[in-house]
Amino acid sequence: MTISPKMRTRMTIFWMLLPTFLILIGFYLFPTLYNLELSFTDITLLKLKKGGDFVGATNYSEFLTSSTFRDIAINTVFWLTAISVTVRIVLGLLFALLLNSKFLKSMRLTTIARLMLLVPWATPPVVAVIAWRWLLDPTYGPINSWLLSSGLISDPIAFTATLSTVWPAIITIIVWNTTPLIGVSLLAALQTIPEDLNEAAAIDGATRWQQFRFITLPYLMPTISVLTLMSVIWTFNNFVYVWLTTGAGPGTFTNVLATEVYMKAFIDLRIGYSAAIGVTMAVVMAFFGAMYFRYFGLTDMQDKVG
Amino acid sequence: MRRHILTKLLLASTVLAMGASSVLADANLVFRFNDSERDEMRAALDEFEAANPGIKVELQTIAWNDARDQFLRESAVGQGPDVVHIAFVWTQEMAEAEAVLPLDELTKYGELPNGFDDFIATDLTMYEGKAYGLPWTADTWAMVYRTDVLAEAGIDDLPTTWADLRKDSEIIKEKTGKTGFSFPAANQVWFPANYYLWSNGGNFIEADGNGGYKVGATREQIADDMNYFKGYIDDGLAPRSILSIDEPQDPALMQGLMDGSQAMALMPTNTYRQLLGAYEQAHPGEDIPFNSGVMMAGSQAPQTHLGGRTLAVNANTEHPEEAWKLVQFLSSAPIFEKYYTNQFPAQKSLLSKIEYRPEELGFAKELADHTRTWGAYADSGVGVGPLWNLTARAFGTALSGQSSTEQAADDLIAEINRMLGK
Repeated sequence: MTISPKMRTRMTIFWMLLPTFLILIGFYLFPTLYNLELSFTDITLLKLKKGGDFVGATNYSEFLTSSTFRDIAINTVFWLTAISVTVRIVLGLLFALLLNSKFLKSMRLTTIARLMLLVPWATPPVVAVIAWRWLLDPTYGPINSWLLSSGLISDPIAFTATLSTVWPAIITIIVWNTTPLIGVSLLAALQTIPEDLNEAAAIDGATRWQQFRFITLPYLMPTISVLTLMSVIWTFNNFVYVWLTTGAGPGTFTNVLATEVYMKAFIDLRIGYSAAIGVTMAVVMAFFGAMYFRYFGLTDMQDKVG
Repeated sequence: MRRHILTKLLLASTVLAMGASSVLADANLVFRFNDSERDEMRAALDEFEAANPGIKVELQTIAWNDARDQFLRESAVGQGPDVVHIAFVWTQEMAEAEAVLPLDELTKYGELPNGFDDFIATDLTMYEGKAYGLPWTADTWAMVYRTDVLAEAGIDDLPTTWADLRKDSEIIKEKTGKTGFSFPAANQVWFPANYYLWSNGGNFIEADGNGGYKVGATREQIADDMNYFKGYIDDGLAPRSILSIDEPQDPALMQGLMDGSQAMALMPTNTYRQLLGAYEQAHPGEDIPFNSGVMMAGSQAPQTHLGGRTLAVNANTEHPEEAWKLVQFLSSAPIFEKYYTNQFPAQKSLLSKIEYRPEELGFAKELADHTRTWGAYADSGVGVGPLWNLTARAFGTALSGQSSTEQAADDLIAEINRMLGK
């Protein structure tokens, strides 16, 4: 029996892809399916040896109809994700434009500015949160000291314990720690824009704003699109910043989906219920990703750029 | 013939040596210990190793916040340290999870010098009629006072009721500008919340008299509890930042007591001893301006919880005999005399021998006359951990203004009822 060249090519592709498939099955598909299975059981940390009983969709219905669901959803979608991602994209774009500007080049500050931008990104999130908690501390924190000494406030502000300041404090920490990635990525994209396009536009009488609006921004959109998608997924699922900054408090004021997963699994010991929240989060993000590509897909963006 | 006898002697001595080594074969144990006295405990283990040449002990440390879950996860897959240091109230959960060995499987290797009845709070170690851990240390919370600040405010007598405490805080604020009473208002608000409720006749969970359990406080009682502590924050008697303070040993609270900018606090025994040690180190040779006293009374006598730590042996251990030997060693009197001196032992025979410093007498009185175990909280099946989290969160929502105290009390009662299956 002879194997046709086409078949041989297919076999080669199959064998080359097989290790990747095995890794994906072992490290992604199996845990995903196992988590899905757990979400339909009443397993707890105390029943890990015995295993849980099948309870159908009880965990899902309990979570989705719980009195806290609305607040947790708003905290996750609006405060943690929408606000922080928007601020990061806008600030990242501003940083990228600044780092790419002729002004910084003329001042010979480009290299030092780029290095400074990378410092927050190089700081581990745990360290960043601890450092910021100290900065924001009402008794010993330099921010309160400065505000008091400058006369802007008369009493120290407990930033992470006051309802009006706790979310801005968390968002500040996230933005400080993660905006550099956005800035550096957009800077790389900025540097791929042919300079003669702006020169031609300037000769045709285009203003700086018009050059930005009709040349720079369309070129950046594919990068912005991908960065936004990644940031949304990463932030929506993030646990570290909220938990280490406030422990989801005061009370439950900053409780988000990721901290709820942790509390239900490791304080209330309800692994099955917690798995159901995790599956819900994955479904929401999968739906978001599909819609995002459907309406703001990369192909479409690239078409716009030409 | 002589040669034959020599051979027999050699053979016999070899067999004897092998037999002796098989009594306690070479064993490497892991002891997971979660308190801060790591160096002292290592010194104690060195003494144990010297006395037991066949046994080596690795000392592991993990944060208390993660200790329970980490061990449960490890145990479920056949892993984990041989001997674990756990809270009293986790023992039943560990037994239910089949994570630890019952004591009757261990005492065959050696009995306890004064028997199991010599230990306190043994009810918390019982699961389905068997004991699963050895109570190791006992503690409770009591009041701590900075006597010089009280004198500066003209307060001669220590407060005895919650109303007195509030009044004295107002006087201190007015006369000295300092903080009177302050407390951790995040996770561990659980403790003062319970003490206030208990001293006013309530319980978050109590037996219903028919073999079941119910919420043992009215909405008004719980809201009153919340309002009491909320008043300190809203009226500026305690800083709002305490809403993010989890523990009494938080540097912000400890520093206030150390530098005298705060007069009154509540804390557990070991934290108080660490505070005294830190003050003595910073002010050698000076008088100690601290005193302790029993918790506040409400409409009824004061009450705090009888807490403590248990030693348990992992159900997966390959060296149960050696592990039990280590547990027996750790429970002996010299450990508390030489190494683990910030803690009170959980044995009645050892507790009665403790010589308290004058400034510790409040803790001694509290422990002797005003403590109770979590009892129904653990027995109800809800579990102290989940109830603690739920209550602390509810108090957090009320104290921060996220919701009214009445609403927070209603939500808390509804959630406890849900957990009780009602």
